[in-house]
Amino acid sequence: MARVELNNVRKAWGETVAVDDLTLTIEHGELVSILGPSGCGKSTILLMLAGIYAPTEGELRFDGQVVNEVEAKDRNVGIVFQSYALYPHMSVRQNIMFPMRFKQVPANEASRLVEEAADLVRVGDLLERRPSQLSGGQQQRVALARALVKEPQLLLLDEPLSNLDATLRMTMRSEIKSLQAKLGITTILVTHDQLEATTMADRIVCMKAGRIEQVGTPDDLYSRPSSLFVAGFIGAPPINLLPGKAVDGKLNVNDFSLTCEGAAAGDVTVGIRPERISFAEGGIPGTIDQTEPMGRETLYVVSCPLGSIRVLEAGSKAHRRIGEAVAISFDPSDTLVYDSRTEALLGDVRARAPS
Amino acid sequence: MAADSVAAVGQPVIEWDTLAARARSRRRWTMTALYAFLIVVSVPILIPYLWMFTISISATTGGTDTFVLWRAVAILGPAVFAFWPLQAIFEDGKALQRARLVLVAVALIALAIFVAPHLHEHNFRFMWNRNFVDELRGYGGELIQQFPSVWVAFANSLLLAGAVMLIVVTVATLAGYYISRFAFAGRSTFLRSLLVLHAFPAMTLIIPIFLILFAVSEYGWILGEIIGLGTIGGVVLVICTIELPFAIFIMKGFFDAVPWEIEMSALADGASRRQAFVRVVLPQVKVGMFAIGIFAFIRGWEEYVFVRTLLQFEKSNWVMSLYLFWVADDIMGVDYGMVAAVGVLYVVPGLLLYVFTQKFLVQMTLGGIKG
Amino acid sequence: MAGNIRATQARQRANFVIFLGPAILLLFLFYVAPVIVNIFIAFTDMGSDLKWTEISTENFERMARKDRILTHTVIPVTFFFVLGTLAVFNVTFGLILALVTTSVQARSGAFFRAIWLLPRMSPSVVYALLWAWVITPTDYGLLNQVANGLFGLPLTDLMGNNPVFLIILVNGFIGASLGMIILTSAIRSIPEHLFHAARVDGAGGWSIVRHITLPAIRWPLSFITVYQTLSLLVSFEYIWLVTDGGPFYDTTVYALYVYKRAFFDGQYGYGAAMALVLVIVGIVVALMLWRFLDMQRLMQEPRIEVN
Repeated sequence: MARVELNNVRKAWGETVAVDDLTLTIEHGELVSILGPSGCGKSTILLMLAGIYAPTEGELRFDGQVVNEVEAKDRNVGIVFQSYALYPHMSVRQNIMFPMRFKQVPANEASRLVEEAADLVRVGDLLERRPSQLSGGQQQRVALARALVKEPQLLLLDEPLSNLDATLRMTMRSEIKSLQAKLGITTILVTHDQLEATTMADRIVCMKAGRIEQVGTPDDLYSRPSSLFVAGFIGAPPINLLPGKAVDGKLNVNDFSLTCEGAAAGDVTVGIRPERISFAEGGIPGTIDQTEPMGRETLYVVSCPLGSIRVLEAGSKAHRRIGEAVAISFDPSDTLVYDSRTEALLGDVRARAPS
Repeated sequence: MAADSVAAVGQPVIEWDTLAARARSRRRWTMTALYAFLIVVSVPILIPYLWMFTISISATTGGTDTFVLWRAVAILGPAVFAFWPLQAIFEDGKALQRARLVLVAVALIALAIFVAPHLHEHNFRFMWNRNFVDELRGYGGELIQQFPSVWVAFANSLLLAGAVMLIVVTVATLAGYYISRFAFAGRSTFLRSLLVLHAFPAMTLIIPIFLILFAVSEYGWILGEIIGLGTIGGVVLVICTIELPFAIFIMKGFFDAVPWEIEMSALADGASRRQAFVRVVLPQVKVGMFAIGIFAFIRGWEEYVFVRTLLQFEKSNWVMSLYLFWVADDIMGVDYGMVAAVGVLYVVPGLLLYVFTQKFLVQMTLGGIKG
Repeated sequence: MAGNIRATQARQRANFVIFLGPAILLLFLFYVAPVIVNIFIAFTDMGSDLKWTEISTENFERMARKDRILTHTVIPVTFFFVLGTLAVFNVTFGLILALVTTSVQARSGAFFRAIWLLPRMSPSVVYALLWAWVITPTDYGLLNQVANGLFGLPLTDLMGNNPVFLIILVNGFIGASLGMIILTSAIRSIPEHLFHAARVDGAGGWSIVRHITLPAIRWPLSFITVYQTLSLLVSFEYIWLVTDGGPFYDTTVYALYVYKRAFFDGQYGYGAAMALVLVIVGIVVALMLWRFLDMQRLMQEPRIEVN
């Protein structure tokens, strides 16, 4: 299993820059997710690691050795594409067998490995079918088997779940994760779905426009997003972001003044996750504008002097009515304050509601 | 040995640097081989065209004075194919552009010094002197005037190609729309027969077509004057018909791609189907009409076998292909330069049209083939 | 109401005549009628006076038994010509050009494809004229200038010594470009991910061609094979212009033989009888080519039901 490093990697086609000055290390056996909106360059990274694209600048290293110019076929990497890219004219068996053609493995050994790989992802009974006779989930498993059969040192997954329906996606999420843990194979998962990234990955690399915004554990990214972009991208329903101004120890948001704990000045944005706000007597007064029962929880939109605030409350029944007067409060340690201009987190600044 | 180490289980020792070096050299060799192959197979095509062009503007003796050609090749060949190596040398875009400009300038200067002094327009005198054949052959006295003026042939070619284009576009657009959008008894039979005709080689029917046009001339009264044997009208209709199955399919494809909803809303807005066709649908398929028009024009411009068979009795109705054929037949051994000049006059309009519309045409030829 | 229905029917008929009438008229006049005329003439003794006196199967007997030129020269020549051109150029070389021009940089690929399209796009008379220059057996000929002047080989006379090879070259340089274009677009339409996946799976350049590209383009490839067989079988234009079927009958292919018997010797009846064979082959092959088309898509029913 490989330790993968990207040092100051840049990929550009003419004027278009897909990946810019990217540095990242992925440890042995780690499952790292690259998360970002479409077009942020995350798939480009994958194709560079696979050996399809060559980096314009910088180094790719496998176990410390530069592999920039090594051909795809020599890198011993497995990849699963969003479209699965199964060879349409080959049966499932031939598809999984395909990578073995290019290895010096005796025929009976190869077919044993193929069957093992197929059983591993539970498509052992579909070996004689054609890809067109398989459901999306089955195709996905076959693609996974084909990627795993040659025991790659690095597994690359490019949006592997986004063509599946919601239930199947949940099953495959946990299956891939446990498979990865069992095989201990270094894995990179590219996705635009934050839920996929947070549930599966050991670490998440959040990207925007070819650059890394933040690297960290799912918990880091959720509780301490280092930029406004990450804060907004991760979490559903989305975080409340309230633009305001820091003046003389006050944070003025709309018509309301919060107390500023820590040093801040100028334009700032206050972020509070909806589930970190509670209804409590003596909080900031407001009225319920909208209710959205979501099953286990209910999302309320409360209009108050701070603006329109999303509040997530446990309980399936929307027991509060539109127009009802409420009061909301939050703990200062749950607030995130960002510099609106640089969009960076002001780590030691907190906002407190006046009591 | 690298492959062995990959296959070894346990502690794989991978020689990444060796692999990288191998990949680098293999890529370089593959690309060199591919480009060398393409150049080698393409030069034999380019040289004859270049030859025709240079002879037409340089030959003086009546023979093929080829030293101008080889000089031009010696300058243009390296210049054109130096374009690719330059790419490898200059990786920066701006430097590459500058290097290419320099290359073009050097080639032009070389041409001006070594080639330009030998060029002249004498071989094009057929354009203003109708009696060039008689002069060439040194007839004294009475002129035979074996050939019509080249401009008659040129105009006839334009007329023929233009008429083919107009008729094909009109008829194929109407028919393509009808079979795309209307339900009628026998629709699928009609489509199937059209498919058979599309693949069927019309050339095999040249004998009966000749006989039919002959019958029209003999018994068709006034029709015989317009579309009988020896008339441009007759050849136009034959070529149009041959082009029709293909053109109708292309147009049907374009009409199929127009969303039904826009036509439905035109009907809901009170238009009749004919009005909807003219006002709403036609503007959506302009590209298709343009493409089949270009195709039909080029087809009419280049036609030889049918005009030779159906048209050559009437010298005043000759088109460029017949003119060139008979000029070549007559004076090929006497004056290569002039034959080449006629060839240039004939080939240039079609090639220009092709160069400017190439993208369309290439896409069009692919209509209907399953991927 | 009855009046309304009648008006609707009249409008439907008028639409049919306006939209489809011209096409049907032309297709009938120059496709359907000629086939009927051809069948009829094939059984007559029509000569250069364009009149016939008797109806018999004499023409077909002559084809099968008496015409030694046809059976001993023309048919073998046709066979070698069609097979040679098809195998070397129209399929193999077309495929090679498509593969190579799609493997190099896109712009360069398009450039070389444009060069190969040049012969197809120039008028047949011009193309034939260029060949006449190329093969001139004296030291004026382009081929001899290169072979003799550059490499010191003796002067060659391609037309005199290798006439069948010559007509294969003449047709092949044009034939290869159709395969090239159709296969290029077929290769382009293969999803890029398949190539990526194959490379990651360890396939090199040649393995990718064999296992990914070729299987994906086998339909267009067989289409080209069938379609071009038919085209070569009926084509005689370039041969007529370059060698005129000579020397003797050495390059007279079947279609050219038909044409010459009819229009040069005035044996229209015999010509039509021989042409009938081509007409039948043409119809059979055209029917075969249906298989290559996506009928389902072509036959989609109209969605507006009023006329």
